[in-house]
Amino acid sequence: MSDGSTTGAAEAVATEPVKRTPAVTGKLKLMSRATYVKEGVLATVFFLSAFVAVLGVALIFLFVGWKALPIVTSVGFGEFIGGLEWAPTDGSFGILPLIVGSFIVTLGALAIGTPLAVGTAVFLSEIASPKVRAVVRPAVEMLAGVPSVVYGFFGIVMLRPIIAEFSGGMGFGAVTAWLILAIMIVPTIAALSEDALRSVSPGVKEASYAMGATTWQTIYKVVVPAAKIGIIDAIILGMGRAIGETMAVVMVAGNAAVIPRTVFEPLSTLTSQIVMDMPYSTGDHRTALFGMAVILFAISMFLVAAVRIVSRFGSRS
Amino acid sequence: MNKTTANRIALAVLWSCALITVAVLGALILYVFVNGVRALSPAFVFTWPHGVNSEGGIFPTIVSTLYVTGLAMLIATPIAVLAAVYLAEYAHQGKTVSTIRFAADSLASVPSIVMGLFGFALFVEAMGLNLSMTSAALALSLLMLPIVMRTTEEAIRSVPRYIRWGSYGIGATKWQTVSRAVLPAAGPRIITGIVLATGRAVGETAVVIYTMGQAINLPVTPLDSGRPMTVHLYLLASEGINLPAAYGTALLLMIMILGFNFSARWILKRYRKV
Amino acid sequence: MIRRTVALLAAALLLVGGLTGCNAGSGRAANKQLIVAGSTTLLPIAEISAEQYRTRNGGAKVLVSGLGSSAGIEAVAAGTADIGTSSRDLKEEEAGLGLVDTPVAYDGIAVIVNPANPVDGLTSEQLRAIFAGQITDWSQVGGPSKRIQLVNRDEASGTREAFRKIVMDETPFEKHAAVLPGTGQVRDVVSRSESAIGYISLGFVEPRFTSRRVKSLAIDGVTPSDKTVSSGDYPISRTLHFFTKGQPKGLTADFTEFVLSPAIQDRVVVDAGFIPASRQAGAR
Repeated sequence: MSDGSTTGAAEAVATEPVKRTPAVTGKLKLMSRATYVKEGVLATVFFLSAFVAVLGVALIFLFVGWKALPIVTSVGFGEFIGGLEWAPTDGSFGILPLIVGSFIVTLGALAIGTPLAVGTAVFLSEIASPKVRAVVRPAVEMLAGVPSVVYGFFGIVMLRPIIAEFSGGMGFGAVTAWLILAIMIVPTIAALSEDALRSVSPGVKEASYAMGATTWQTIYKVVVPAAKIGIIDAIILGMGRAIGETMAVVMVAGNAAVIPRTVFEPLSTLTSQIVMDMPYSTGDHRTALFGMAVILFAISMFLVAAVRIVSRFGSRS
Repeated sequence: MNKTTANRIALAVLWSCALITVAVLGALILYVFVNGVRALSPAFVFTWPHGVNSEGGIFPTIVSTLYVTGLAMLIATPIAVLAAVYLAEYAHQGKTVSTIRFAADSLASVPSIVMGLFGFALFVEAMGLNLSMTSAALALSLLMLPIVMRTTEEAIRSVPRYIRWGSYGIGATKWQTVSRAVLPAAGPRIITGIVLATGRAVGETAVVIYTMGQAINLPVTPLDSGRPMTVHLYLLASEGINLPAAYGTALLLMIMILGFNFSARWILKRYRKV
Repeated sequence: MIRRTVALLAAALLLVGGLTGCNAGSGRAANKQLIVAGSTTLLPIAEISAEQYRTRNGGAKVLVSGLGSSAGIEAVAAGTADIGTSSRDLKEEEAGLGLVDTPVAYDGIAVIVNPANPVDGLTSEQLRAIFAGQITDWSQVGGPSKRIQLVNRDEASGTREAFRKIVMDETPFEKHAAVLPGTGQVRDVVSRSESAIGYISLGFVEPRFTSRRVKSLAIDGVTPSDKTVSSGDYPISRTLHFFTKGQPKGLTADFTEFVLSPAIQDRVVVDAGFIPASRQAGAR
């Protein structure tokens, strides 16, 4: 990448019998056949590279789905999704408690994390001076970079004893998972919301201030409504991150595959159960874990699709 | 409540949101640092773990982590950059492009444990690569692909149009324009994206735990298995006996990731000035 | 969890075709090879012994895999392994296979509570009822009126398996219990929570790498100790065996002797939370 500057390109070009290339290649025959072929081959290579992403998603779906298929025939789809009893050693493969666990953990984390993240985003785009922003923004980005296993470790050694003290229980359960996950989704939601807030045209804000609105009035009556779609997208993606989070959850949830009676009691999620069971699972049990992976994959695809639909809806109105 | 009071309260709340976010990061770093620094020593970095409770150092896990991320970067980068070139320079908006974008977004949001199971099913079992650096690197590269693709595409799109016009104006072909004018101009931002994606890969656990294996081993060939630092930390933390070593591993992991983060920033800053 | 996982990986690698890490090493003495297969509980001892044995007797190959006790006994009886490791005694139908037993360690599972808990002992029946969720309050077993917080181990754990067999019989575990993947975590939770109860290998009751304390309970009136475990008086205990087809000889005898030497017994066996076989001369 170092050998190229515009002048270098010009010199190299001058030696070839080529006059110019229009933006749409292939219509005008002003270049040599060799160049034409080369350009065509390269364009194909680029396209194939881009297609790797499509191939990857298709392969994931096919392979994980193929591995999961036997559970539908041996246990039955309804029994698998709707069964209340997860006891693989006794041959019960009902994952409803795990699905419920995943949603309890995710929704709680969103409830705590979203206000914090959107608040931080509004602060960054509307209130912070450049100096303050230069500290807060990198901090948010670094929170995104902390590995989930470190969050989980922090969760067991630091947060769990505090929650245990506070609740009188053991400290494993929904509340601990909520707090850890809330921190983990803040960077995702904050960064995307900030982008949305920044793209609100300054003219709209100035008009609001000109009419005597305070900063807060401008924020909640003008800026946030204008960036609404972007913020909703950010929250959906944050939800995707929370529901797919694995290592941090397995470390703090307590891993009891039941629907918990209180928020301070152990529970388990789709992701954490896969990590716990994978090493020793065989036969139907292993198949069931792949089935859980298919469900997670479907949820994450659904959320990505939801973002597209919301965005399209937003751009239309 | 009059509007000035409401304004004051609201601003205080927003300030505290930002403060909480920064404080959490500070607390996390401080806690890991204070507890981990005692475990950290040259011996910790350069010797092998031994015994039932993994006493001693974590050398092979550091090598495994660097090995697998290096390999994943080598696999993901060319594909991701070429894919971004396609999306930014070659593609016409339409069904194909929107399919590719949807796939890339989906790939970016696949839960890491799902990627791990996929890697296990395809690379470890079906392709017969066993628990190895290659299996883990292939799965990790799928995770890195959409990140590098996105940052590269943004980098390419941010290259001013006149650079392209200049290149076309002197008779360059499309590829010449892309390779000698656009990519060099977008270079620093592309590298920043690669560095950030690599940082993500270093911290990944669920993808590698069932594709690389967990046996402590110093990988030499790409078909060797190993245990990355993140998995080592997870196992130490779950066993919960040798916590000093767990703190040490966590600190080292944080230092590496902050290192990646800072160098990405530094690259961006340095080249922006030029 | 670590043990079981390592076991499965080792097993998988062996099955795939001897692709274990050790064939990267010495190709010179390929004819000297010893296969040790069986219990996952014994795996850390067997593996680390094998590793140290290799470095001492340069070139001797010891391949270790953890497939479970039954598989180990089967393998040594069939002659596919030189040593079958087992965390259970021989069953009646296995008695006639001509296997010779060398106990290498004892494992006692201590039932632990917080030091602040006034309860000092339980009967086997009470213990089973607690872990089955039938007794839910400490007042039902002579303690203060506090809800019992149950801490269980994950299903991959050998300790859980032993506890289930010895204590639970056929009674299922209470499903709302916390399921923790490691001994240290169980210990930490119990050391902090006054109403928690859990179980860990006896060797981990005394603090290591920490200052927090837990209290082990007497079961059926017997306090767990090296002595009561190796004598078999303490009910939740088991012997960890090396089984060989006939008296061990050659490399097999040499390796077994090495495992029984102080280098392994006083370091590795103790580190793994077990009680050395050498502390009790007579067999049970």
